[in-house]
Amino acid sequence: MGQPRHAYVHVPFCRHRCGYCDFTLVAGRDDLIDRYYAALGRELERVSPEPPATAGSPGLELDTLYLGGGTPSHLGPAGLRRLFGLLHERLHPVAGAEVTVEANPLDVTADFLAAAADCGVTRVSLGGQSLDAMTLRALDRDHAPDDVRRAAGLLLADGFSVSVDLMTAAPGQSLAAVEKDLDAVVGLGPQHVSVYCLTWEKGTSFESQRRKGLLQPAEESLERQMYETAIDRLGTGGYEHYEVSNFAKPGARCRHNEAYWDCRPWEAFGPGAARFDGRTRITNHRATTTWMNKVLVGDDFSGDVDAMTAEDAARERVVVGLRRRDGLDREAFMDASGFTLDALAGNAIASWTDRGLATDDGRRVRLTHAGLLVSDALWADILK
Amino acid sequence: MDCKHIRNFSIIAHIDHGKSTLADRLLERTGTVEKRQLKEQMLDDMELERQRGITIKARAVRMEYRHAGEVYELNLIDTPGHVDFHYEVSRSLACCEGAVLLVDAFQGVEAQTVANAYAAINLDLAIVPVINKVDLVHARVDDVLLEMEQSLAIDSAEVIKASAKTGVGIDDLLAAIIERIPPPKGDPHAILRALIFDSHYDSYRGAITYVRVIDGTITKGQKIRFLETSTTHDVLELGQFVPQRRACETLSAGQVGYLVCNIKDVKQVHIGDTVTIPGDQAAAPMPGYKPPQRMVYCGLYPSEGENFEELRDALEKLVINDPSFEYAPESSEALGFGFRCGFLGLLHMEIIQQRLEKEADLDLVQTAPNVTYRIKKTTGETIEITNPQDVPDTGQIDEFLQPIVRTNFLVPVEQIGPVMQLCTDRRGVYLKTEYLSPTRAMLTFDLPLAEVIYDLHDRLKSVTRGYGTMDYELIGYFPADLVRLDILVGGKPVDALSIICDRRDADRRGRAIVKKLRGEIDRHMFEIALQAAIGTKVIARETISAMRKNVTAKCYGGDISRKKKLWAKQKEGKKRMKSIGSVDIPQKAFMAVLDTGTDRQ
Repeated sequence: MGQPRHAYVHVPFCRHRCGYCDFTLVAGRDDLIDRYYAALGRELERVSPEPPATAGSPGLELDTLYLGGGTPSHLGPAGLRRLFGLLHERLHPVAGAEVTVEANPLDVTADFLAAAADCGVTRVSLGGQSLDAMTLRALDRDHAPDDVRRAAGLLLADGFSVSVDLMTAAPGQSLAAVEKDLDAVVGLGPQHVSVYCLTWEKGTSFESQRRKGLLQPAEESLERQMYETAIDRLGTGGYEHYEVSNFAKPGARCRHNEAYWDCRPWEAFGPGAARFDGRTRITNHRATTTWMNKVLVGDDFSGDVDAMTAEDAARERVVVGLRRRDGLDREAFMDASGFTLDALAGNAIASWTDRGLATDDGRRVRLTHAGLLVSDALWADILK
Repeated sequence: MDCKHIRNFSIIAHIDHGKSTLADRLLERTGTVEKRQLKEQMLDDMELERQRGITIKARAVRMEYRHAGEVYELNLIDTPGHVDFHYEVSRSLACCEGAVLLVDAFQGVEAQTVANAYAAINLDLAIVPVINKVDLVHARVDDVLLEMEQSLAIDSAEVIKASAKTGVGIDDLLAAIIERIPPPKGDPHAILRALIFDSHYDSYRGAITYVRVIDGTITKGQKIRFLETSTTHDVLELGQFVPQRRACETLSAGQVGYLVCNIKDVKQVHIGDTVTIPGDQAAAPMPGYKPPQRMVYCGLYPSEGENFEELRDALEKLVINDPSFEYAPESSEALGFGFRCGFLGLLHMEIIQQRLEKEADLDLVQTAPNVTYRIKKTTGETIEITNPQDVPDTGQIDEFLQPIVRTNFLVPVEQIGPVMQLCTDRRGVYLKTEYLSPTRAMLTFDLPLAEVIYDLHDRLKSVTRGYGTMDYELIGYFPADLVRLDILVGGKPVDALSIICDRRDADRRGRAIVKKLRGEIDRHMFEIALQAAIGTKVIARETISAMRKNVTAKCYGGDISRKKKLWAKQKEGKKRMKSIGSVDIPQKAFMAVLDTGTDRQ
């Protein structure tokens, strides 16, 4: 499989935890940030025990580096510089690499942009979620529509490649509100848009309110309409739909995420971060403090280990591959996995095409629009 | 032991009135079992019996008791209390000269008290009435005495007041058993005649045959003949239960015990058969027992088709110890190969299913239970229907008959109204009300058995807040306006979902079933029509709308392992379903047809 050329770094800090969020993060615990740097520095030693400078190499060469969270921008300009200082000791984004940082619109200031540029950041993923005040309140967000506009404007003016996240099916959100959000985002003109349908995750405040009857999820048919509207409007706006939730202007797909969906190996650091060597995916301990403590005392800090056989991995490749609108190319699949697509999924694909859920031209298999909408129900046919 | 010093008796009672506790106390008082060895429900050795606190199979145990200076052999033949096991009760009673009638001092006379007492009276057994639990704070002894007098003409002066729990009245009871129950008649020197009243299978010794010797004597090593099966066996061992098996040399007229004859095939042991000597001198056969009447049938299918053989083996094993259920192979388009099984009642059905799943570790799909119907065809032929699939075309049916049971309800007087309503809703025919005491009455209705077995007992308990009890006996088959109701899923009839019901109920039942099914079947990627139909006429319809959206939004590096687990779970769920056409139907759905839509309004 060779050395991974992609890396993910998890920054688990937020000003505040939004009601729907079940990600690995701590809110209002900035006192832990120093310990986090220390722990991250130690975890990076997995790449090479000695600083690469001493070993005479620039470090692990990367085509993409992605800082997610949490809210990486919450570290502030100085924090960002410090973080990249650590990362650059062992990770080496090559010339032309995609370096993404997730940001809260409120954190996007001139100082922050300057720091980002100095650190080699090329792309900013903006947690906008909506451009409608009511929806933002319903989602428990701490920013206003204008903050998103301002941040996107600044980023684009400074030459960053920008992605904006939007959320649909928020409590009380109407189809009209979604349409307005989509039009507003297209108007802002970012290179990339991700649209996520709200999910109700165990352990979140939203979910406990739902159980008490205080919050009501959107009807499934409304969810569907919202999703279809997103596909339509973003398409018209010049964004290509290239994965379930992702839309990009030509040439602006997120290369980092495409590495995941290509099942290429990647490195990952930080609490709850998952790395993959082509067969095995190891997820670090999800609790921020546990991860820090274990890393710092030299204990094993991995949590879940998903060790797959070659066939398991190939089956997984079918699933994540078909979630991409390009679908799967038989030849490329065979080259990458060592299995023929039809040996693993031939019957399923035939039955899907019969039912109008997929198309198959003999070389390439793609889900149709109908198939994509219910794709979770298809994977039982593929996974062992 | 001469007959004069033998007493054979059963204890009869409504369920939960303390029969097993009383048996435990008698074992202890007679020194049959030492106190420290006593475990609760001594005679119930099936795990299920203890778990559920009920007696399923009959038991026999020999006790010794000294009374007025003489030693007596007391044979207690334990009986099940639940209505399903009437059949076992009457078998046991036929081996006895007397019965201890046990009534709870708080609950009073209940439906099985009456039913079992009449069974004993009809066999001319001496009745020893006992009020149990007199130590209870809420005991209402005087009322209960009145109820016993009103319902069963029992003289209050003869009733022994006891507490099986504390031991109060146990000596009085033992004395009464000896004084009031006649010794068995029978001549130990006459030609051997013994009645087989039960059997069980022991994997080391083969069939253990339970007998009551009527005349003559059985001696170890002798040859005996089973009349009905026409087989001859050597008696390898004989003995009595104390309560474990204890071998002895002879069993003579009046005694109760067991025989071990190296019988590997239990089919050779017929309950109710007569045991005598081989040759010309053999005794004439005794009337034996009426064969058990299976009231309820259902299909049992392995949920994995390849387990058919295992299911067959498990059923074969089970029927050895419980000849009261029967099975025959059948096949269903929907469920594949399985068995149609007949049971004494719903509890019996539930117990068999549990034993199969537990003892044989089988995962089963059970179809909804139905009763046996009879159809007089236009050709003059009469057929028995145990599976709705076998109902012929309407054109061939001259008369469609269903079993009717006479049902007694013992209820608090203030709940007579709701119980009346319950029965008239179920097309019951009212016969009479008798007041047993100022607070309790007995209602009698004739009801279709089909209406009784499904949920009448539960409904009765709920409208009487647990105080009502019921009992029923089959009075015969009567014509009714019955139809077969078919259920179509996605346009395809699903044979395992068909039911037989009264034409007037068909709309309601049909609507209830398709509505219930709508809740049981997950949405698919296409719309699924659920229809109830009589012949080609659709009478109810529901639609399961197509899945509109089911797609995971986020599937990035850290999400994949987690999402895969969720998807895999869906796959597990799918495995336990039966696919009909392209619709996956969960096993539970096959019981949906039990939903009678009885929240009738």
